[in-house]
Amino acid sequence: MKIRKSLLVVAILALVAAACGGEAGTTTTAGDAGTTTTAGDAPDTTAGAGAEDIIVGVSWNNYNEERWARWDEPSIREALEAGGATYISSDAGSSAEQQLTDVENLISQGADVLIILAQDGTAVLPAVQAALEQGVPVIAYDRLIEDPGALYITFDNIGVGRLQAEVIYDMVPSGNYVIIKGDSGDANADFLREGFEQVIGDAVAAGDIEIVGESYTDNWDPALAQTQMEQFLTQANNDVQAVLSENDGMASGVVSALEAQGLAGEVPVSGQDGDLAALNRVALGTQSVSVWKDARELGKAAGEAAIAMARGAAIGDVPGVVQFDSPGGNSMTSILLEPIAITQDNLNLVVDAGWITIEQVCQGVTSLDICG
Amino acid sequence: MSVTEVPPSETEQLEGPPPPRSFTALIRSTEIDTRMLGMMALLVVIWVGFHFMSGGTFLTPRNLWNLSVQFSPVAIMATGMVLIIVSRNIDLSVGSMLGLIGMSMAVVQAEILPTYLGFGHPATWIIVLAFGLVLGALVGMFQGFVVAYAGVPAFIVTLGGLLVWRGVAWSLASGRTVAPMDSTFQLLGGGSRGSLGALGSWIVAGLVSAGIVAYLAYDRRQRRRYGFTLRPRWVVIALGVGGCLAVFGAVWVMNSYYLPENLARQIAEQRGIAWPEAGLQIPLGISYPVLIAMGAMLVMSFIANRRRFGRYVFSIGGNPEAAELGGINTRWTVVKAFMVMGILVAVAAAVTIARLNAATSGLGTLSELYVIAAAVIGGTSLSGGLGTVSGAVLGALVMQSLQSGMVLMRVDAPLQDIVVGIVLVIAVAVDVYYRRRSTR
Repeated sequence: MKIRKSLLVVAILALVAAACGGEAGTTTTAGDAGTTTTAGDAPDTTAGAGAEDIIVGVSWNNYNEERWARWDEPSIREALEAGGATYISSDAGSSAEQQLTDVENLISQGADVLIILAQDGTAVLPAVQAALEQGVPVIAYDRLIEDPGALYITFDNIGVGRLQAEVIYDMVPSGNYVIIKGDSGDANADFLREGFEQVIGDAVAAGDIEIVGESYTDNWDPALAQTQMEQFLTQANNDVQAVLSENDGMASGVVSALEAQGLAGEVPVSGQDGDLAALNRVALGTQSVSVWKDARELGKAAGEAAIAMARGAAIGDVPGVVQFDSPGGNSMTSILLEPIAITQDNLNLVVDAGWITIEQVCQGVTSLDICG
Repeated sequence: MSVTEVPPSETEQLEGPPPPRSFTALIRSTEIDTRMLGMMALLVVIWVGFHFMSGGTFLTPRNLWNLSVQFSPVAIMATGMVLIIVSRNIDLSVGSMLGLIGMSMAVVQAEILPTYLGFGHPATWIIVLAFGLVLGALVGMFQGFVVAYAGVPAFIVTLGGLLVWRGVAWSLASGRTVAPMDSTFQLLGGGSRGSLGALGSWIVAGLVSAGIVAYLAYDRRQRRRYGFTLRPRWVVIALGVGGCLAVFGAVWVMNSYYLPENLARQIAEQRGIAWPEAGLQIPLGISYPVLIAMGAMLVMSFIANRRRFGRYVFSIGGNPEAAELGGINTRWTVVKAFMVMGILVAVAAAVTIARLNAATSGLGTLSELYVIAAAVIGGTSLSGGLGTVSGAVLGALVMQSLQSGMVLMRVDAPLQDIVVGIVLVIAVAVDVYYRRRSTR
């Protein structure tokens, strides 16, 4: 009995350790060129660090999304290794507080440049300011950090919204629209909505388009998006001609709701992220567009910018920067990459890029050229 | 359904008390749970309120049909949560377990089984479902063991589970969305195909009504046999008639929701029927998720009130020491309660992924809070020992009605959360107030 009890205690400890380790652990991985770096090498935070000494710290907000681990991290790593820098990282497990600690840890581990995927662009500010004061440049990766001292690298999210709306607006220039927005706490939800507005705003004002349903969706939850879509369809008595959904996950919920009314394929639906299931829906015709942001481009741009800045380039001298006026009123030095709208006509792009296989795209599809 | 049983008073005469003089005495003589009546009244107020505020959309067959499907997963899990909470435990991990089990079932049917059986094999759904139920039972059993035998508080164990199972769910597919589901499996999620149809629904209504009448007759006979107080004859008749009317009314509503025109047209084309001028009206009837939820409610009520396991759970919740000294194997009972919870989570997970026709690693996020809230709004006491399964189902219906109704009114998400949160606190506050008054 005693033994069994202690075994259970061990099991629980393991459970707790797994939880902590998986969610908030800090891992250090040395790149090829950087294996010689030891704790004794004082980080040279002044300009002109040699290639061998560069350490780039990446603070992830969480891995709970497909793309970070699969696409972004490998491409950042590749770019850093090509430039001879060492990659160290930490995962904040969706906790803004944890991320503050993570950033401090990365600096004390000797990071020369920080790449931060912010859990909360405001909460992380103190850590960013502390880093900048210590002369460590900061790259705001994919999510905005409201500090003009940081370099903001992202896909043009307003542009994503614009692309989504353009495809849908071309198909449905007038009629009833439903807009399914993402989490109300995520600034991207509002950027995307702004992009929609730039395309359909005039038509809405002129009365050609009526928005018969619009709602935020907690956690970008597909099941919740499905419920909302069912309710909007009920309220509008199925008189809906187009749906602007801000991402692919929610689009899956929207399409399921449309399917239940026999409207899937008749009502255009937008999305973004290039989810495999979504690209299959594009091929099937139940979703009209998935705006694809090639995450590898983003990782590559961030890695290269990090190396340039570690070698002493001022933030304004990094190649490809533009000024971007943030919602917080800051003029951010930014690198804005162009996304691509994937429709039935250019599905070959994602296949050629190795993002998805022909079999995955074409599951259940017969009538499309690419599926032969 | 009430668990707080009236102690038998053998001194009273066989044919029940004299005619009641006051209204409260009248209600008491019917032995109906007044809490339950209050909840139903609240539900009616919510429904009618939304009906007018949404411009007459809420109380339509279509919306009620949708509502019934939307509330099913939470209702299924709430029936198990009652037992957990009654035994003075809590399960914070049900949302993450739903994610884990849903994702596992999705991976098995979309990626593993097709390589052996091919797509669309008729046995796929049953294999997947069985797999999910076993997995749910195992996960529940594991947590139950740690709670009961290692003595770690359930709050901590399931808080760990909340993190662990979500992480495992993510690892299973590295965060990918897994889709589509098997075509037979999809029926579990309702939808246009996943329903009983008109005839089947009426048959179910008939069976349930017969069950109600038979139960009332049996109850009366048993009371007479053991010399318990009899409820007045008119009360029993009113209960029987009311129950049957409610059942047939609900089925009538379900049968008044017709297959959407587009789908009806497709069916007409497939079968080569000319499209009639007036349109083709194919009633959908009770959807499978609702059937499953109602089944779960009946089975769990039976277990809670009539089986030894259920009565043990209530004794443990009422007084753990006394239960233990009374010879109840309290630890094993707690393990079983967690196992039952795990199985019900698996059922809810099947319904959820079938309905969405996809599984994502975020599946079920925060649903533990909705499940606990449903149980608590339904009268389950967090200090243990008190609670009813049917109350929890009603609680789930109240919560989903609020949410769906607010979407109809185009209330945006943050405000919805505010309203749901306030309702939860008020519901429990009212409950505490009345309980205190009634025990005084």
